[in-house]
Amino acid sequence: MMINSTIHSFKLPPYLHATTPAEVTRNQRSDVRLMTLHGDSGAWDHHTFEDIIDLLQPNDLLILNTSRTIPSSLRTVDGAEVRLSRKIDEQVWEVLILEKRLNESTTLYFDDGISASIVGPGMAPELTLIEFSIGGEGLMHFFYNHGQPITYEYIDSPWQLSHYQTVYSHQPGSVEMNSAGRAFSHKMLKQLKDKGVQIAYVCLHTGLSYYENNRWPDPLRHFEWFSVGADTVEHIYKTKKGGHRVVAVGTTVVRALESAYDPKAGLQPQEGLTNVYIKKDTTLKVVDGLITGFHEPEASHLDMLCAFVQEKKLIEAYQAAINEQYLWHEFGDLNLIWKRTYA
Amino acid sequence: MQQQKVIMITGASKGLGKALALHLAGKVHKLAICARNEEELKQVENEIHRRGAKVVAAVADVSNKKDVERFVSITENTFGKIDVLINNASVFGPGPTYLADYPDEAFEDVILSNITNPFYMTKRVLPGMLARQRGTILSITSEVGITGYAEWGAYSVSKYALEGLAAVWADELKDTGVQIVLVDPGEMDTIMHKIAVPDCNYSLSSPAQIARALQSVVLDETMSLNGKRFEAQDLIEEGPHDD
Repeated sequence: MMINSTIHSFKLPPYLHATTPAEVTRNQRSDVRLMTLHGDSGAWDHHTFEDIIDLLQPNDLLILNTSRTIPSSLRTVDGAEVRLSRKIDEQVWEVLILEKRLNESTTLYFDDGISASIVGPGMAPELTLIEFSIGGEGLMHFFYNHGQPITYEYIDSPWQLSHYQTVYSHQPGSVEMNSAGRAFSHKMLKQLKDKGVQIAYVCLHTGLSYYENNRWPDPLRHFEWFSVGADTVEHIYKTKKGGHRVVAVGTTVVRALESAYDPKAGLQPQEGLTNVYIKKDTTLKVVDGLITGFHEPEASHLDMLCAFVQEKKLIEAYQAAINEQYLWHEFGDLNLIWKRTYA
Repeated sequence: MQQQKVIMITGASKGLGKALALHLAGKVHKLAICARNEEELKQVENEIHRRGAKVVAAVADVSNKKDVERFVSITENTFGKIDVLINNASVFGPGPTYLADYPDEAFEDVILSNITNPFYMTKRVLPGMLARQRGTILSITSEVGITGYAEWGAYSVSKYALEGLAAVWADELKDTGVQIVLVDPGEMDTIMHKIAVPDCNYSLSSPAQIARALQSVVLDETMSLNGKRFEAQDLIEEGPHDD
């Protein structure tokens, strides 16, 4: 499902696809650009990413997603690609099987004598549930020994798994990188702390963001596991009470935090699955600012951005980003969006 | 009973690594161990189970960063955290050999293995430790890492590098809650020592003795350890210094 909206209709020129990690073409991960966008006025400014140190204030709270990318693209012995989407239990995963002919078979065969049986449909029509012949640690070893990072068609080199990690990630489980935080280096995080910016963590394991062949996840059928701990909840209350801002690094963090918000009880420590769909009529309860990449026209992430800034202003800013040749996708440039004030 | 810690040990199939794993298993800790030899690793894993501890055992070469990612990620996935990393794995290379006679390939292999492995391992466990603002990373060094003795070859050079690695990291990590510690275990009765000193005619400590001596450095969170270098013999005789 995709809402019919102008924000989904802009054209992204092919030369704005970022194909290479910044530390490869330049020097550091942080050598990317940052566009700031103010939700109330719709005004934008151009910065380098390291300017974030000046743009955040002491006692602002930066919230990072600790989820770490696992190697999620597997090949059967026949060469068909199987992409992990979500862990169901120790042996069962929801996956995207890219070759149609395999949908007619009930068993997938991998290296090392590992196989997987198709046991049912996934939450979305494009996805399938498969049960591997092994589980637990053994299955994880298989993923790490034989899996590769998922790469989309705009990537022309096989980058290593380490290129698909943020420097602070440590809970394995995402099938795609939480790319908004990719540009942070340990040095920048230290500089932010030295300035007095606070840091807290949530975990949300990402599912697949794209099903190929112009098929995109329906947010309402897109379940992801998340965890918001008591320490982070306490940190957020303290930040809000002090009149400071909560800044999410990535749409995954927004999804986790807003999922943990209870209309009656307020923000609560919580973990479980979420299919919350944040869109333009959603009133954000927790997050004041968002650092995120630039999203493709079809991505539902754009609907979430419309909860921060009016759609008309967002499309104007995106057009400015295109004119200024900001780069898109996981290795691209970044956008800091300050939430509009709700009436 | 002490708090359950997750302790990760590289090169745990023999020598000091094995002795540490078995000693700490007796304290009912959760262990993550790796080694290149599957059969020897399996034996240690079974012994740890017999002692009542939980263990993740991975066949891994920690000078290979793909193996490091797999070993650490599976441990984090299983136990949720790593409290202590013991960078124990290292290779000696050829027995007593003048540097002038040292085979080029062996020199490269020893240097690469002994320097990249603690770098990869430390870098990989840091994110979790920094998020929790606590953790200990202990690397096993040697007297030949501060004094050059003839015929200890690339091993000695690599331990000098390890000492430098630890010093830089200790400075960068001060005030983070993560502690970088070096321990010189002294000369022990191990296979590596037989390679280094084939005609040894003096008494040596056993790895088990050294493992017991290191317990306080590994487990005591009250000490301020960052940037410290201990000699195991001092720990046996006096307990750790904090000066």
